[in-house]
Amino acid sequence: MPHDHHDEDAHSLLPSEPALRVKALETILVQKGLIDPAAVDAIIDRYEHHIGPQIGAGLIARAWSDPAFKAQLVNNTDGILSDLGFGGRQGEHIVVVENTPDCHNLVVCTLCSCYPWPVLGVPPAWYKSDAYRSRAVCEPRQVLAEFGVIIPPEQKIRVWDSTAEIRYLVLPMQPAQSRGLEESELALWVNRNAMIGTGLPQPPAKT
Amino acid sequence: MTGRKMKLHHDMGGDPAGPIIPDKPDDPIFAKPWHKRVLGLTVAGGAMGAWSIDTSRFWRESLPKTDYRSFTYYEKWLAALTNLFVAKGFVTREEIINGLPSGPKQPLHAAALGADRVLAMLAAGAKASRPEMAKPLFQEGQKVRTRWPDATKRQMPGHTRLPHYAADKIGKILFYHGHHVLPNSNAHFLGECPEPLYSVEFSNADLWPDGHAGDVVIVDCWQSYLEPMT
Repeated sequence: MPHDHHDEDAHSLLPSEPALRVKALETILVQKGLIDPAAVDAIIDRYEHHIGPQIGAGLIARAWSDPAFKAQLVNNTDGILSDLGFGGRQGEHIVVVENTPDCHNLVVCTLCSCYPWPVLGVPPAWYKSDAYRSRAVCEPRQVLAEFGVIIPPEQKIRVWDSTAEIRYLVLPMQPAQSRGLEESELALWVNRNAMIGTGLPQPPAKT
Repeated sequence: MTGRKMKLHHDMGGDPAGPIIPDKPDDPIFAKPWHKRVLGLTVAGGAMGAWSIDTSRFWRESLPKTDYRSFTYYEKWLAALTNLFVAKGFVTREEIINGLPSGPKQPLHAAALGADRVLAMLAAGAKASRPEMAKPLFQEGQKVRTRWPDATKRQMPGHTRLPHYAADKIGKILFYHGHHVLPNSNAHFLGECPEPLYSVEFSNADLWPDGHAGDVVIVDCWQSYLEPMT
């Protein structure tokens, strides 16, 4: 038995290989009519092919281009996301936090892995890692340095620990070199990490 | 550490830890095919409405410490989901052991999520906000002191969203978010018990011995996590 020291836990009765464990559970749930495998496929398809950081990047690019939209995105976030069709599961209550020359924002969930799914997709592995969850709150400057982001000592860091159902989206500062670009070009400057706070907007990679 | 000052293994803010390994731009969204199955099963299972996201979180953090620390992320989800299906009586231990249901194939359960409902379910989400039933006790800008995590629990062992590193600390109310469902109660099927929810700002220097002056950490706290400063 894979976990004989905890054999009171039902999960320890499953096969030891994770892929087989999932298959065993899904087989039982489907046979019992508790899960529609086509629903599982549809959920996966949404997060693998449709919902991702390109949604957040489009919002940020539009906020950079259009001050009226930016005001709505910051002050009426849930309303505007709902109007645009970008609300939903794990993004029911989004707060946009704006980076300024005086303040850099960084988002973490120390207790689990809360993340604004409808605008960024499912979180990357590092966001869910013990190391990020442990260190982002106590040594954000060192954590950011590991991502290649150096914050000057006089720029304050605000770390948002997502302990409730509020989800935080960072509105990065627009790089000076990107001024005057079209919204669609600007969106390419906004990477996922810039919207978590572990990155800064970057020129798109040359292809 | 004992009693009310006990820190649980999922509550890792401030723990010593190694380097963070950022991903590469072309890394896949799901590292292994079975990861996505776990995500899909967890979301579909939750959509049955037999338990809340608070219950799911409680069951994940209730995994034995050795499992919690050794399991990869989606293994934790899978283990907690399996335990929940068994605990709620949908699946028996014998079925898990045998890898087979005890009876013939069943039609789709009335509460089960059909494929045709997936898009609407994901787009709707589940708001945690509730109508304001009483004026909030605290005002923006007011100083408050946090309680100990165990002191906020409704049962033992129990669920709370107050991290240990922010316990018994003085902070400042930054925002009031209205009333939100209280996980400490809802996780255990004890009712939603909505309470005022606040973003509370703590000075890094107050939380950590070598915290950078001026930096802050913001923790979302329900009203019952907080005491007024006298």
